[in-house]
Amino acid sequence: MDLFDIVFYCFALIAVGSAVVVVFSRNIMYAAFALLFAFFGIAGLYVLLQADFLAVTQILIYIGGILVLMLFGVMLTNRVVDVDIKTGTLQIVPAAILAAVVGGSLSGVFYSTWSTVSGTPSDVATTTPAIGEMLMTSYILPFEIASIILLVALIGAAMIARRKT
Amino acid sequence: MTGVEDLLQTTPLLIVSISGLVVLVIDSIFRNGERLAFWLAATSLLASGLHGLYGIGETGTAFSGMLTTGGYADFCAALFSLAGFLTLLLSRDYIGSRTTDRGEYYVLILFAVAGMILMASAADLVVLFLGLEMMSLCFYVLAGFTRTSFAGNEASLKYFLLGAFATGFLLYGIAFLYGAVGSTNIDLILSSASHLRDQTFFLIGLSLLLIGFLFKVAAVPFHMWVPDVYEGAPTTVTGFMSTGGKAAAFSALLLVFAPRLASQIGPVREVIAVIAAVTMIGGNILALSQENIKRMLAYSSVAHAGYLLTGVVAANGSGSTGILFYLAAYTLMNCGAFGVVALLESREGGRTSFQDYSGLSKSSPVLAGLMALFMFSLTGIPPFAGFFAKYAVFSGAVAAGYTWLAIIGVLASLISVYYYLRLVVLMYFSEGEHPVPAPVPLAYAALLAAAGAVLFLGLFPSTILDLTATFF
Repeated sequence: MDLFDIVFYCFALIAVGSAVVVVFSRNIMYAAFALLFAFFGIAGLYVLLQADFLAVTQILIYIGGILVLMLFGVMLTNRVVDVDIKTGTLQIVPAAILAAVVGGSLSGVFYSTWSTVSGTPSDVATTTPAIGEMLMTSYILPFEIASIILLVALIGAAMIARRKT
Repeated sequence: MTGVEDLLQTTPLLIVSISGLVVLVIDSIFRNGERLAFWLAATSLLASGLHGLYGIGETGTAFSGMLTTGGYADFCAALFSLAGFLTLLLSRDYIGSRTTDRGEYYVLILFAVAGMILMASAADLVVLFLGLEMMSLCFYVLAGFTRTSFAGNEASLKYFLLGAFATGFLLYGIAFLYGAVGSTNIDLILSSASHLRDQTFFLIGLSLLLIGFLFKVAAVPFHMWVPDVYEGAPTTVTGFMSTGGKAAAFSALLLVFAPRLASQIGPVREVIAVIAAVTMIGGNILALSQENIKRMLAYSSVAHAGYLLTGVVAANGSGSTGILFYLAAYTLMNCGAFGVVALLESREGGRTSFQDYSGLSKSSPVLAGLMALFMFSLTGIPPFAGFFAKYAVFSGAVAAGYTWLAIIGVLASLISVYYYLRLVVLMYFSEGEHPVPAPVPLAYAALLAAAGAVLFLGLFPSTILDLTATFF
């Protein structure tokens, strides 16, 4: 067990442990904050796997964007902090079947590709510069269109949410 | 590398999107910028349409193979610009009397047209998807543009939720195709169809992509959203969605399910054939019992999607040419029909039922005459454009050996005679009292131009058919 393994298990523990808290917590604020640590754990795993771009986007988008939005949503909603959220189990049979199918296919993929994966990731160059260069050369058009789409979404959201004039 | 040549090659797209940005700024800087914004938007759509027609001869690709230019793309760009232009002329007073934010309306129309142009000129599935999203986002907002109207809000929300769901299918399909082919380039996908046609993931990708498209063109199992959205949205927006939106979806569908793909993958072609048949029959039968004109036109647009799918099934030059001609004719006649409905509609959204049109020929003879012309053309009666449109796609299907589909199409259009002509009979042969609508010069000009073009295309269909035949 070298340093890599220790760090891996730390991040995995953070991710899985917080995910468990998200599911079982009765307080929606605790659940939201636990989600933050789950995202952080995943980002750490990405770093370990040398997926630098994915790790940064995970932090920027999931933690910086989506989670903050969710926290604001929770805090701006009236009295949601002290409302008990339901954590009981409903529809046990369909849920069990679905979980079994998903779990089965995931472990199937896991075992069938097990032998082809080598122990540690090989040293690869960082991916961010390559992605950035692609975005500015061959994918410049989709990149620019995406910005117009965001503008349209902004206009639309402002249109719909505006007070009656 | 991209450079000035890329920009010059995509002039229609450039004109429309830049003027969208400029109109947005004008509208927010000047307090009375509406007039300037309107004319700028209208001029830019006209310019992009004319430039599209002008550039048809030179074909090529731009932006490192992301866009195709000239030919098919430019013809479609001209068509979408025409739809946007007609809609702008028809909506100025309609929207102005119902809401105060006309500036945003023009901006959204312009960006919707830009999205449509991207869809028709996409050489890569990523661009196609982005164009579709751009157009759809504009439509979601436009459908609920009259924010105080309950039906408008319902239409907008319903369209948004179901549209987002359909986008999921489309995107998942693209992901599968990327997995199977290793590229999102449309040309590469089409040329690898011959050796991938038995591969499961390739077929799953194609099917998911097809479902996404069928939702956007409103073919029968995926048409549930159409009546409510078309009825609740502002009438001019409905006209734009049913013409420009449908034309864009079909032009993109034809890019991916092009003749050389459809003729190779038998099962997909058979599925489209069955869906076309069901759509033609279902749309027409559902339209029979409608009492609201907008709902009737909504179901009739479902039926027209079926006729158009016949051209996709044909998978030959005649069918594809027919689709483009059909889209042009349909844009003119359906924009016109919805334009008349918009002019007659009351401010609260009333006066849209069949009974409200009885005896219309006495109080507003011009509008009644125009409506009758559009109805005849939608039915497919010669010498109007609608006849040659149907003739072209059906003859393509017969040439491809799908005679049964053409027969179903002809029978289905016989059903449509009832509800289209029922409106004409009501307008001319029954009595009724009507407030005379205020004259709106712009809208009348647009309607007359559309009617003239329907008649012209009906008399000289070869003007467009010869042009589009060079694309395939």
